[in-house]
Amino acid sequence: MEHILGMRRLEKVKYSPTSVRELVLEMKNLSELMIDLAYSAALFNDKELAEDVIELENRIDNLSLLLEIHIMVAARDPEDAEALLAVSRIGSAADKISDAAADIAAIILHDIGVHPIVTEIFEKVEERLMRTKVTGGSVLVGKRIHELDLAAKMGVDIIAIGRNKDWIINPEEDEVIKNGDVLIARGASSGIKEIKELAEQNRGNKVK
Amino acid sequence: MSHQHPEEFEKIVEQLAELKDTSEVMMDLAYSSILLNSTELAEEVQRLEEYVDKLHTDFELRVLTSRFTKEEAKGFLGLIRLGVAAEKIADSAAQISEVILRGLEPHPILKLVIREAEETITNVRVTKKSPLVNKTLRDARIPKETGMWVLAIRRGGKCIRPKPELIIEKGDVLITYGYAEGVKDLEKLASP
Repeated sequence: MEHILGMRRLEKVKYSPTSVRELVLEMKNLSELMIDLAYSAALFNDKELAEDVIELENRIDNLSLLLEIHIMVAARDPEDAEALLAVSRIGSAADKISDAAADIAAIILHDIGVHPIVTEIFEKVEERLMRTKVTGGSVLVGKRIHELDLAAKMGVDIIAIGRNKDWIINPEEDEVIKNGDVLIARGASSGIKEIKELAEQNRGNKVK
Repeated sequence: MSHQHPEEFEKIVEQLAELKDTSEVMMDLAYSSILLNSTELAEEVQRLEEYVDKLHTDFELRVLTSRFTKEEAKGFLGLIRLGVAAEKIADSAAQISEVILRGLEPHPILKLVIREAEETITNVRVTKKSPLVNKTLRDARIPKETGMWVLAIRRGGKCIRPKPELIIEKGDVLITYGYAEGVKDLEKLASP
């Protein structure tokens, strides 16, 4: 956990022409996901979720630097600069949001924690998030999300999929789950337990 | 785990839950104000920012006066920090909404982010006779019935995130967006 001690490796940021629209949208989506993950990590004392938050924070830092470069490249005169101010303000706000999420995650990673009574009460009233990694033998592999009918059967929604270092946020209903996917699910505790079991189970046990 | 001051605790948790929810709903509304170019939503965010400031102060005072024991101090520090982070999120949401309120002319590259603006924001109040009363949002199927999406729900001075399990109450104001054609259907459903 070097990054916690401020020793994380900083990537070199290199300009490549990308769509600013894509950058802003990705920052928006990632910062929203981070907040969800961070609160859940803190309230339910979940280190795995907290570590995902820190990883996403690095991502957003990089995106925010890229956005700044794009803004500088796009400004040719004072009018341009004025018009780009809005983009830059949104970018810096998304960055601040992700910082706040990392602060929340740090409560758990630095072993400060929140008072256990709080967790106890939140468990009764709040839906929680859970992360799980899909193993090769799981029945989930190769299934489309809508085929699982999670909302109706278990009261669970998959809100994000981590795949090859990328995050698919609010995946489409026909997204196919793959071996090695990290699923972030939200819902009732019984339901998320069930989906964790399905994701990590070995199909081999079930076939005769 | 036992504790001597359960009522105080309940109040602390209640305020924390509200700080958390409000900061989240503010973020949704702030980004939506940009995407839909809506002054109304931006103003809602600003109003909520003031509300959060006050709530956050109340929360901190309550934690500090809860006479915790030495062993509990760490757990309370965690709570204080959660409060600070929620406030920071609320501030950032307000910063986003200011872009709209200052009337900053969006650069063409931002305009691409803004949706083609045939979609509108509509607030409707849920009246006593509405079939929505006492239904969960999941069961109410508002997007399916009307084509309008619920961004947030105003209840009293609060603003609530539209979670699927949330039960709709009489008097709730639904803040929604969608194509203008859906507005009538929504009004019929919410205030018949």
